[in-house]
Order: sequence, then structure tokens, then C-alpha cells
Amino acid sequence: MQDKKLPWYSVVWAIVRKDALCELRSKYAFSALTMFALITLASISMSLAGATISSALAAALFWIILFFCAMAGLSRVFVQEQEAGTLFTLRLYANGQAVYWGKTLFNSLLLIALTVLVIPLFVILLNFTIPLWLELSVLLVLGDIGIATVSTLTALMVCRTGGKGALFTVITFPLLLPQFLMVIASTTRVFDGILPEVQDFVFMAGYDMTVLIATSILFDYLWYD
Amino acid sequence: MQGIIVELVNVSKKYGRRQLFVTINRQICPGECIAVTGSNGSGKSTLLKVIAGLIRPSSGTVKVHHNGHEVVADKRMPCFGLISPELIFYNAMTGYENLHFLVRARGVGLSDEQLMHCLESVGLTGRQHELLSTYSTGMRQRLKFALLVALRPPIWLLDEPSSNLDEEGKKLVKRLVDDALAQQATVIIATNDPEEANYAGQKIALV
Amino acid sequence: MRRSFLSILGIFIWTVGVIYAVFTIVPPAEGLGNLVRIAFFHIPVAWVSVLAFLLSAVWAFQYLRTRKPEHDWRSSAAVSIGFAFCILATVSGATFAKLTWGAYWNWDPRQTTIFILLLIYGAYLALRSAIEDEEQKARIAAVYSLCSFITVPFLVFIIPRYYFSLHPAPVINSAARIEMDKIMLAVLIAALIACTAIFWQLLTYRVNSRQKREAAAISGEEGVKQ
Repeated sequence: MQDKKLPWYSVVWAIVRKDALCELRSKYAFSALTMFALITLASISMSLAGATISSALAAALFWIILFFCAMAGLSRVFVQEQEAGTLFTLRLYANGQAVYWGKTLFNSLLLIALTVLVIPLFVILLNFTIPLWLELSVLLVLGDIGIATVSTLTALMVCRTGGKGALFTVITFPLLLPQFLMVIASTTRVFDGILPEVQDFVFMAGYDMTVLIATSILFDYLWYD
Repeated sequence: MQGIIVELVNVSKKYGRRQLFVTINRQICPGECIAVTGSNGSGKSTLLKVIAGLIRPSSGTVKVHHNGHEVVADKRMPCFGLISPELIFYNAMTGYENLHFLVRARGVGLSDEQLMHCLESVGLTGRQHELLSTYSTGMRQRLKFALLVALRPPIWLLDEPSSNLDEEGKKLVKRLVDDALAQQATVIIATNDPEEANYAGQKIALV
Repeated sequence: MRRSFLSILGIFIWTVGVIYAVFTIVPPAEGLGNLVRIAFFHIPVAWVSVLAFLLSAVWAFQYLRTRKPEHDWRSSAAVSIGFAFCILATVSGATFAKLTWGAYWNWDPRQTTIFILLLIYGAYLALRSAIEDEEQKARIAAVYSLCSFITVPFLVFIIPRYYFSLHPAPVINSAARIEMDKIMLAVLIAALIACTAIFWQLLTYRVNSRQKREAAAISGEEGVKQ
């Protein structure tokens, strides 16, 4: 019987599906992240007691919450595999690039799902109105992709060190900083009702593309001996 | 993908100060069955991993030739199927889902019937839709063989294949090894068990 | 042995000469007065910390390409020493800022950049110390070094746009402000050379002692075997 060879996107999708299936069954990451976001937002809301916050502060708070949620949950893609012992299985039977793209896509989807949940909570708990929804959505997606991409690579770096959360945050933050600063500044403008400049979007998209390609190349050096 | 020759040229491995094995020179041809023997800690599992390309040797190279051409490092993995006690499946998925995922991860598209057939051939019918967490160690070992039967790689690397298996299971292993050899696959078994070692025509002894 | 003694002596004499020049030959600058002398320490030290970062990335790339451990030794030595220089640059910069503008830290572009460099150095060293296996340590650290090297240029674009700068304009590449006296410029360049030479000497010393340690360990084993 002739074996059918699958196209690369099927292999990538198989990895995303597997992670999604395991996540759906254990519900660990998503519930931990949503609780984290809820607690943080609620604490801020309680301490503000109805006072209004400036756009700059709101933008910074939003991305800080998202960033720390990411640091709490995105390392699981490799740390969990290492702890369960299945990283070895994956190295034996899955292609490195497929694993990279699959896990990055999974992390991006996870973070975007979390963002979709956080935004309404943000509006409600901080009594904030959002004027430009489309532009905000584009910003959010660009920011999320950047965070997810870098986090996937750094997750592989720390998975064998015992996956201590602090190390993961410490090494991921400096790499994300350019995107972080840009996305906060652009979000501030959007919250003020001002359209961000085209070059801002170009910068963010450029950063995302650069890290996607760079981490893809560097991934193989970590994956294969 | 048959007709793969594996060549070990001056392969040695050491970890820090500990030397595992030195200068192994060997050509392994299709249809051969080789046993790697040695006491615990002599590096049998490591040698299998080096052959599979999972670990870099400290010196020397492992070359893989297909029809006279050398197979580049990235394309090498699909030539090998390695099972070992270290191989662990996903507890949150069923036996069938595990098989389905790993086969697809290798880039091989098999239909449901074909996958069921593989599970049947290792005696796991009826248990395929239960979570891995409910499987006994013997069942997990059988699932590992189901993976090899599904993928049919040209080179089988078996690290202690009969571990956790009862008498029937051991017969199954013998049968699968014979089937693989009949299809001109190469089988390399790392083992302490003299019975298993006797499946092989030749031996590499690691002291 | 003799060559390294001569080079250390040479660097020492040069550095003493530079320090002498900074305190006697250089006149007080307009507006900044005698405080400008701190700049002769701060600028070279900051320059070296950036240089160390670049060199570390270059050697990281070499390591991934060739897998020779010497490249990893050089890469990590550059980071360790660069980290020290970076701390000196941050502290001297903050002191200068306090004495001149009254605040230690205001997140202007230069300060932000040096801070981020400090973070990257710190992260690299934390990562290295968390991994035990030598080969893995080298590989993972090299990948991190290259990854951080790729993201830093984005900082160069974004920071100036969003932060107002209190920092004096760079005297070397700002066309409008070559108010730096020719003497000052000469002394500054001499200071840069001195600092770079000190860095290089420290780097070579560290790499050589690592080489000797590794060689001794191997011959120690062989001695035992015999």
C-alpha cells in the first residue's frame, strides 16, 4: 500500500489540533490565564473606585496584563511536553519546522482568544470606551503574534531548565520590548480616538515578520542536536 | 523508501569525562538484523539515538545512503523508527488519537481503516478509544509497535522491545521483527536479553 | 608571557596618559563645566558595552556554524565583561544626569537603550547559569544572543520617536554641534581606544584561562588513564 504524503500545512495543523485537544481536555492554560486577567482587572477597577484613567495609562495597563498572562501561560507548549516526557516523542516523530509553526500558531490563537475575553472585561471594569474598533483589532492581532512568536522560542530554551516561570519572563521581556513599546504607544492613540500612522503599523508588521523568520531559523538549532 | 544503508564512520560518544563507546565502524545494509549488547549504562540507547540522528556523536559521522545518494541531515528522521522505554505517549489523548497524531506529524496520511488495522495487528482493538492514562505498560508497548507498523520506516531501532510484555507480547515482537526483515527493513535491537539478542544475525558488543 | 606583559604595560601607560589629559589638558566645556570630564569615562564605557554586545552575537553565530567551543567561550566572556562595562555606563550616566539636570533617571533614549542592554545581558547570564550541560548551554545561549541582536535594531527606531531627550547630542555624528573642541575630541578618541584595549585584554585573559582549564582537565584525565 502506497503511503500518502501529507502537505506541510496538514502537519502544522496536526500539531495545532493536538495542542488544542490536550488543552481542551485539561483546560489548564486557558482557565489559569482568564482567572489571572480577571483578578488583575478587578483589582485595578476596585482601587480606582470609578475614577477615570488616561488613555496612556489604560493602554499600558492593558498590555501589561496581556504580557503577564502570556508569561503565565505560553511557556506550556514546551514546558508541559518536557515535564510529561513527550518532548522526546515529538523530536523523534515530528519535523522541527512543523513543530515550530504549529506551536507558534497555537500560542497566537490562545493569546488572541484571551485578548477577545479581556477586552470586554476591560471596557466594563474600567469604564472605558473604545472609539476605533477596527484599528484596535489590527493592533491587538499584531501585538499578540509578536508576543506568541518570541515566547514559543524562549519556551523551548527554558523547558529543560525546569521551566521556572521567572527565567522565562526574564529572557522573553527584553526581546519583546521594541514591539511592546510601539504597541502601547499606538494603543494610546487609538484610545484617544486618533488613527495611528501607517508607519506604526508597518513597524509592528515588520517586527512580527522579522521575529517569525528569525525564530524559525534559530528554532532548528535548538531542536536538532 | 527501501534500500537504505546506514554507515557509521569512527563514531564515538562521551559525556563530559565519561566515554561511552569508541570508534564504531560499521555498514548496516537492508534486511540485516543487528543486536547491540552490553551491560547497563554501556551506551546502547545512546548508540541508537546517535544512529537516528537525535544525538551528535563526539567524533565521527553517521551517513545514510539511499540508492547511492547521501540523505541530508534534515531528511534523515523519516528513515528511522525508534521505540524505547523513554518514548511516552500523550496521556490526555486516546490510543487511537495518539497514533493518528504521530503518524500525521511524520507527514504520512493514513486512513482510519488503515490505522485501525495497525492497532489490530498489535492486539489493541477494543481499547483504542480509551485514554492513554488507562493503559497498562504492556499496552503502551504494543502501541509503540503499532506506530512502527503504521509508519513502516526502512530502519527499525528497538531499545528493549520486549520490556513490559508477556509471553504473547514477546511472540508478537518476534513476528513483527520477522515481518519487517521480510520487507527488507533493517532492524537494530539494543538489549540485555539474550533471547532478544538471538533475533539478530550479528552483534555489536559495547563493553 | 612577555608579549602579554608588554601589552598590559602599554595599555596601563596609555590609560594613565588619557586620565592625565582628561584632568589637565581638556578645558571645561561650555555650559557643563568641569562635569564634562565624566563624559570621558561614560562615553568610552558605554561604547564598549555596545561593542561587547555586537562581538558576542558575532561569536554566537560562529559557534552555531562551526560548533567549536572556543567561539562560545569568547561569546560568553564578551557578555560577562560587557555586563560589567554596562553597569559602569549606567551608573556614570545616571551620576552625570543627576549632577547636570537634577534627576538620576528620566528614560531618555540613551538611558533607555543602556537599560535594555543591561536587561539583555542579565537575561543571557541568567539563562546560562540555569543550564547544566555545557553543549546545550552554549547552543541555547548562542541562539539567545542572536535573537536579541535581531530585535535591538527595532529599539533604535522606536525609542527616539517616543521619548524626549535630555541627552547631549552625540558629538561625533551631529553635524550641527561639532562644538567639541579639537582637543576634547582627540582626548575622547584616546579614551575610547584605552577602554577598548582594556576590554580586549580582559577578554583575552578570560578566554585563555578557560582554555588552560579545559586543557588541564583533559590532560588530567589522560594522566589518570596512564
